[in-house]
Amino acid sequence: MQTIPSHQLDGKAVSYWRWSGLLGSVLYWLVPLAYYGAMRLWNWPGWILSIIIVLVLLITLLDITVIPNILWKTWRYDVSEHQIDLYHGMFIKYRTLIPMVRIQHVDTVQGPLMRHFGISTVTVSTAADEYEIPALADDVAAELREKISVLARVVDEDV
Amino acid sequence: MYEPQRLHPAAILEFLIGNIYKRIQSLLPLIILVFGQNEIRRWFFFVLPVILLLYVLYIIVYWLRYVYYIQDDELHLEFGIFVKKKRFISFGRVQAVQVSAGIIQRIFGLVKLQVETAGGGDKAELVLPAISKKRAEELRYILESKRPIPAQKYRETEDRHTGEIFRLSTRDLFILSSTSNSIGVVLVGLFVIFSQLEEIFPDLNIWNIIGDYVNEIAGKTITTIILVVLVIFLLAWVLSLLGNFIKFGGFELIRMDNNIKINRGLMEKKQLTIPIKKIQAVRVVENVLRQPFGMVSIQVVSISNAGEKGESSVLFPIIPHRQVKELLEQVLPEFAVPLETKQLPIRSRIRYILINLIPAFLVTILAMFFIPYGWFSLLLWPLAVWLGFIQYQDAGFNIQNNKLLISSRTLGKVTTIVPRQRIQSLAVSNTYFQIKRKLTTLHVAIASGSITASKKLVGMDKEQSAMISRWYSDFGGYI
Repeated sequence: MQTIPSHQLDGKAVSYWRWSGLLGSVLYWLVPLAYYGAMRLWNWPGWILSIIIVLVLLITLLDITVIPNILWKTWRYDVSEHQIDLYHGMFIKYRTLIPMVRIQHVDTVQGPLMRHFGISTVTVSTAADEYEIPALADDVAAELREKISVLARVVDEDV
Repeated sequence: MYEPQRLHPAAILEFLIGNIYKRIQSLLPLIILVFGQNEIRRWFFFVLPVILLLYVLYIIVYWLRYVYYIQDDELHLEFGIFVKKKRFISFGRVQAVQVSAGIIQRIFGLVKLQVETAGGGDKAELVLPAISKKRAEELRYILESKRPIPAQKYRETEDRHTGEIFRLSTRDLFILSSTSNSIGVVLVGLFVIFSQLEEIFPDLNIWNIIGDYVNEIAGKTITTIILVVLVIFLLAWVLSLLGNFIKFGGFELIRMDNNIKINRGLMEKKQLTIPIKKIQAVRVVENVLRQPFGMVSIQVVSISNAGEKGESSVLFPIIPHRQVKELLEQVLPEFAVPLETKQLPIRSRIRYILINLIPAFLVTILAMFFIPYGWFSLLLWPLAVWLGFIQYQDAGFNIQNNKLLISSRTLGKVTTIVPRQRIQSLAVSNTYFQIKRKLTTLHVAIASGSITASKKLVGMDKEQSAMISRWYSDFGGYI
């Protein structure tokens, strides 16, 4: 097997994903709600509602239990002098190489929920795509952003 | 040029026509509605000239306030009546400059200049609809050389063209038109026109007329039907031919020192300049219909596809496959490589077949249930297998002279050539099934206006993709 990158995300990422999964699943619950409305209005069959509820419940449970753990276990990254090396994916494993020369800018992003956990996401943009290293401890993320921006600046090439 | 400049007065016409066209398009339903009411129709003709007059006045003021000038190393544009807008484009951000001439411009001997920058959608960032040819040349030179050099100097340092000029022969133009998708587009266009007619004149019942007509001829012999179909196709073909002659007539491809110049167009002369260093990749496209002729088209992927989407990225619309390398050597030696590719391992063939067979399978199931004679769709199966076979056959890759070649086929075959330093990022992925079979998928990110330029090759051997990763990471890598 190939050697995979060594750095892992912050441990707090798991609890963050649990909460964001829970909040995100509020959206899924709109589906049975809408169906319930339709049921009252047009007499749609009730057994479909039970199926929908079971499915949504299952997704919600997965979102707050197993998935955050799998995400955390499968995420690895390395930042070297020449490139950023990412390894992640639940069903499809991606190994991505981004040379420092190609990086156009680097940001840290933090939503309100992330602020609560003291974690940030580092996003890296090339002329083609944007990549992110999610859920790093604030100081690690800031340090990484500085490091990448310095390394990316050294080799300033035309696109 | 360093003082605020107005456009040529002919721009008023251009604004008028362009705007009226747009307005009418959006107001069409309203206009139709209004014409239905007798009373409104009466005073409409009284109001119309007033509206038009006000409109012309508005456009004239718009023209008066539409000024451009160069300051430091930026091109400035100011426009707008009620809300004054200012747009600055620094020379460094300019990706492409396109000069074209429509009918209005040609009447007055003027040109239209469009400036493209990286971000942004398909619309040009800055348009000067009517300026003199000389002014356009100066501006183009300044924008491309990134230096605000006074006009008199620019001739001395002008970009000289190197090598031969590639032209499109009439014979190739014929093949191009006969095999282009535009025949289909024309057919669809005819259909759209018919359906629009029905909307505008609901009493016309266009489909009934056509239906009656078809009924009538169906009552006659089968040869008549064939004849009608042939005539329709002939019509579509002639229209497509006409369209392509107008679009690609007088096509010329010239390599300058730092730019590629493409001239084309019979009615509207278009001149496109693409700076070499903005070109990210070259695509050799083999359309299914052209394959029997051994003809391909060459496209360039540049950061911003100036002007009309896709169209401007055509480097050469049609050329025999074997001449591609020669043309690239002359025009874009930076991208010239032999087009041979290495094949994928035989064990990934099954994936290519299944990916086509499964949808065919689903279609058959649905068709059997819902359509009489649905079992005819079983014929899709051998077709799907065959498509999978040639998709596997044509998928391949190679590394030559520090350039990566990836070829793949959905229907047409596309070979992408991208130099190492133009690959924005590289990813190797594998699904659960692929891991077991030691297969991978390669993703190559290429910068462009649209994401379609990025390239994916499914079913590479693990060793093959690891080799490409090593080649991609400068220092030997460790994947």
